[in-house]
Parts: sequence; C-alpha cells; structure tokens
Amino acid sequence: MTMVALEGLRPWLLQRLTALYMVVYTLYVIVYWSVFNTLSYSSWHGWLVNEINLVLLGLFYLSLLLHAWVGIRDVLLDYIKPLLLRLILLFLVAGFLMGTAIWMMKILLSVNL
Amino acid sequence: MAASHRPIYLNLFKIKLPVAGIISIFHRVTGVLLFLFIPVSLYYLQLSIQSERLFEQVSYLMVSPFSRFIILLFIWSYVHHLLTGIRFLLIDVDLFLEKRMARSSAWSVVIVEFIIMAIIIKGLFL
Repeated sequence: MTMVALEGLRPWLLQRLTALYMVVYTLYVIVYWSVFNTLSYSSWHGWLVNEINLVLLGLFYLSLLLHAWVGIRDVLLDYIKPLLLRLILLFLVAGFLMGTAIWMMKILLSVNL
Repeated sequence: MAASHRPIYLNLFKIKLPVAGIISIFHRVTGVLLFLFIPVSLYYLQLSIQSERLFEQVSYLMVSPFSRFIILLFIWSYVHHLLTGIRFLLIDVDLFLEKRMARSSAWSVVIVEFIIMAIIIKGLFL
C-alpha cells in the first residue's frame, strides 16, 4: 500500500475507534443512570467528582469532536464542490470544533473536586 | 462511454430506495443534527454543574412543548445514528454483507429503533 492509499485509512480508522468508544460509554451511562441511580443534583455532582467519570466524560467529548470532524469533513467533501468555499467551510468547522474542545476542558476543570 | 454522457436521473420522488438506503441517508442527516447539538449539550452540561439552582433549571426544560420536541429530536438522532452506526461497524467486519442479510439487518435497525423510541417516549412524556 502506498502512502497515498494510507491517507484515507487514518480518518476512517479514527471514525470507527471513536464510534466504538462512544457506543460503550453510552451503554455505561444508560445502565448507570437508569438502572442503578436516580438523577438529582447531588448524585450528578457526586458522579462527576469521581475523577474516573470526569476523565471518561472528557474522553467521550474528545471522541465526539474527532468523530464529528471526520463526518462533517466527509459531508462537505461530498456536497461542496467549489474549492475556495470548501476550504472556508472546512476551516470554520475545524475552528468551531477546536473552540468547543477548549470550552469543554474549561467546563470539566470547573468541577470542584 | 465517457463519464459525462452517463444519464443522470435524480428525481428523489421517483427513485425507489431500499430500506438500507433510507436509514443510511438518515445516518448522515442525524450526524449533521448531532454536530449542531454539540455546543447545546455543552451549555447544559455547564449549567448542570454550576449550581443546584441551575441544575433544577435544566430539569424544567422538559416542561415546554417546544423544548420537549427539541429533546426528542436530539434523542431520536442519537438513537438512529448509534444503531445505524453499529450496523456499519458490523458490515466493516464483513457481517451482513450478503444482499438479503443487509436487508434484514436494515429492518432490524428500524424495529429496534422503534422499540427504543417507544420506551423513551413512554418514560419521558407519559
């Protein structure tokens, strides 16, 4: 396989791996909150104060942002043909996702441990 | 025949798309919707963490019909994207590749999605 052929494999793999993590995390959240606990401010806060849950949530959002990047990129490459417009939109989406990542970090770090 | 001479016929109302094609298109549509929901989810995550009063405020979202509709749209998008996504992952590892299997797995997704949405609507709204 040439390097060019490998170019497409990396986002493809990233999309699948992040998807897999999000499926497992979703099942964990559903089972935890619908079977074992009832949602209230104290149980919710207690859950987030646990560092493991905070890290797992951070990883979920990281996966989500990477997954969204690959997906939206594919959609833009499929439908937006003029090169300049395509580049502008890709740039905007990338900036939006990076800004969201920073915001997400700020929120997670604001949890009083 | 040159590529430019291929007949193009894209009347969406006359093309009869198989069920696998329909759920696949909605995988993409729900993907874009979920992308738009990312900042919304972060905003409510932020509110729910900040204080008990704001947490209660987030819970009140379930009251107005409009926000109920938006929440339901979000949940449906998540469920549909997740289920069709799992089907794609199984196809990646060479399961359900055969035409009949692909068809029945697509129908399975529709049925499971219907059951999950019925449970969620019953749990949240009734």
